[in-house]
Amino acid sequence: MDWFPVWLSVRVSLAATALTLLGGVPLAWLLARKVPRLKDLLGAVVVTPLVLPPTVLGYYLLVLIGAGSPIGRFFESLGLELAFTWRAAVLAAAVGSMPLLVKALQAGFEGIDPRLEQAARTLGHAEWSVFWRVTLPLAWRALVAGTVLAFCRALGDFGITLMVAGSIPGRTQTLPLAIYDLVQANRMHEANLLAAMTIVAVLVLLLGVGRIARVRY
Amino acid sequence: MARRGVLLAVVLSALVVVTGASAAAPRVRLTVYAAADLAFALKEITAAFERTFNVDVILVLGSTGNLAHQIEHGAPADLFFAASDTFIDRLVERGAVLRETRAIYAQGRIVLATARSAGTKLTDLRQLAEPRVRRVAIANPLHAPYGKAAEEALRRAGVLDAVRPKLILAENIRQALQFLQTGSADAGIVALSVAGVPEIEWVPIDPALHNPLNQAVAVVRRSAQPDLASAFVQFVNGPQGRSVMKRFGFVLPGEP
Repeated sequence: MDWFPVWLSVRVSLAATALTLLGGVPLAWLLARKVPRLKDLLGAVVVTPLVLPPTVLGYYLLVLIGAGSPIGRFFESLGLELAFTWRAAVLAAAVGSMPLLVKALQAGFEGIDPRLEQAARTLGHAEWSVFWRVTLPLAWRALVAGTVLAFCRALGDFGITLMVAGSIPGRTQTLPLAIYDLVQANRMHEANLLAAMTIVAVLVLLLGVGRIARVRY
Repeated sequence: MARRGVLLAVVLSALVVVTGASAAAPRVRLTVYAAADLAFALKEITAAFERTFNVDVILVLGSTGNLAHQIEHGAPADLFFAASDTFIDRLVERGAVLRETRAIYAQGRIVLATARSAGTKLTDLRQLAEPRVRRVAIANPLHAPYGKAAEEALRRAGVLDAVRPKLILAENIRQALQFLQTGSADAGIVALSVAGVPEIEWVPIDPALHNPLNQAVAVVRRSAQPDLASAFVQFVNGPQGRSVMKRFGFVLPGEP
């Protein structure tokens, strides 16, 4: 039994969740504000990863960051190859997770009474401080729920990762890709074992997070 | 507040974990991209090659179409075994593989398979039109070479129109086989190379009923070790490789 995919998947989905938070929190905040035109367009763009078939999305992402593209060449000149590395797997998982975090968090932000933020401003807090001390703590449950969804989606990503990172054993073969390969090779026992382990691990994690953050799914 | 602390800690530790993640082992490695129908045969040949040449071979299996896209966009492959020569020819045109290394390594054969759970073994394509056969699995003719051959054989046997409503299109030939193994399909047309499973019975289909399934290989232009890659091709087409390939139902044109 090769355990590499397990560790790779843990690292990739943690990194992807972090990346999703870095991009998703400001995005959700922006979407919850009142800039109407931008909001509609951006709100629609954010959900496109849910609409496109994952392998198709992965193909577009590959064209965007592949060795022949300007973005791919730029990162390669920095010594950071993207396509067909673990970085591509992180990117793929983050793209798939983004809509889930953003939509959950946007709803959380929108549910906040704006007067509370106003009150903080009248008390002399700057916008950054208002966000950090009032808005984000009030949207805490939405943030946790969105983060958990994002992590699970990242852990389970198949199609986008397959196209843009490949399924290279020992390098970019994440847990879902490894399980798929085992099924294809008729090695059902190993496939079942990995799938069962994943489910149990995620259940434990979800229950643990639910306890600590007092969130129900 | 403690919650913000937790959030920060999660983000930071994830970043630390990631920056610490790096590739390993600087031993000579050959990365071979291969069509899914080669899975069993190449795994055996690869093991022998690794012993003989004292290198590591990484086998990446997938659908020929997907792998071809990836190689075109810079996938770290040294060698590409496609399920059809048309994909190699397209990559040659686009400069992604080396023209002079293009070689035919096998000619695929298709078989008429019956799921054991579905009853009596079918021996003729025309029997697929009979009412007792409800679902027929083939690979998708639109992009899978074996699916295309299956469709051609059905057409030339004169039963394509009668069978079409029963067709279940699989993503690739191994999925078509899975439909049969699980009993989801009563019959199907699959590659000889994957037909050696206990859940099905099969008879060969006359190769005159479809265009030849020439399977081609080529060394990838970006490969840093084209000589080792060529040595692998020679190994597959050499005595050791051929005996394995034959056992799994791959023959070269002109081979018995």
